Amino acid sequence: MTLFGYRISWAQLAWFGHRASGIGVLIFLFVHVVETATVALGPDVYNFTQTLYHNLPARLGEILLMAALVYHSLNGLRVIIMDFWPRTTVYYRPLTYGVVAATVISMIPLSIIMITPYAPWGHV
Amino acid sequence: MAVGRTIWTPDDATQERRRNPSHAARPRPEQPGRERAWWYFMRISGLILVLLALGHMFIMHVLVQLSGQEINFAFITSRWGTPFWRIYDLLLLVLALVHGVNGARIVIGDYVQLRSVRGVLIGLLLVVTLIWLLAGIIVIVAFNPGVGPKVGPFS
Repeated sequence: MTLFGYRISWAQLAWFGHRASGIGVLIFLFVHVVETATVALGPDVYNFTQTLYHNLPARLGEILLMAALVYHSLNGLRVIIMDFWPRTTVYYRPLTYGVVAATVISMIPLSIIMITPYAPWGHV
Repeated sequence: MAVGRTIWTPDDATQERRRNPSHAARPRPEQPGRERAWWYFMRISGLILVLLALGHMFIMHVLVQLSGQEINFAFITSRWGTPFWRIYDLLLLVLALVHGVNGARIVIGDYVQLRSVRGVLIGLLLVVTLIWLLAGIIVIVAFNPGVGPKVGPFS
């Protein structure tokens, strides 16, 4: 495929996606450890830090985090399969398409469930 | 599209491709040693993390919401009152942090060409990780739930 005038293969895109999602999840993990550590400061502090998540931008971020984790997991499984069973590299293309398709398909119900409290059909 | 096809035809068994069959991550280090151990660690911890991390996200963002619960202090008190969830969270913290930071170390090594800058960045990353790891472990292990009521099945 052509992207910004460069010819980019799905291999490169899958590889870049793996790195980008990995770094993204890691950055959130560092924040998440701090935010969860406030549980040691008692109920008032912890319950306050949790309210920082209770808004639409945070929820959209959580959906993005879920998508990053689902993609990184599925693509990671593909890497493991192809590294340990090199014959499966014959199916490199269907496996890569499968990872992208499975990520998109699984994110449809997950996004709907996660956005529900902020959606017109939701409550709260 | 044609780019991928020329690389991935099954009869194109070059030395490079045999060494790195997936082309999706770094090849397995040829010399046995620390870097090869990390290569295996990334794949084994990744396999465990697929279950732990995806399970964690599914519980916290799907099951908790669908069952009408809320994540607050009472939820944690109940959750970490159960040894199972405390060990689950501890294992997830350690594996995710080490897996993620080793990944970041490899990414830094790939993009930062200057040796001195690379050393400083990786050193800083290691120090920060050690602090975060210790703090996280202490919080999970030392948390005293007292006598909190059971909130639900995931807590």
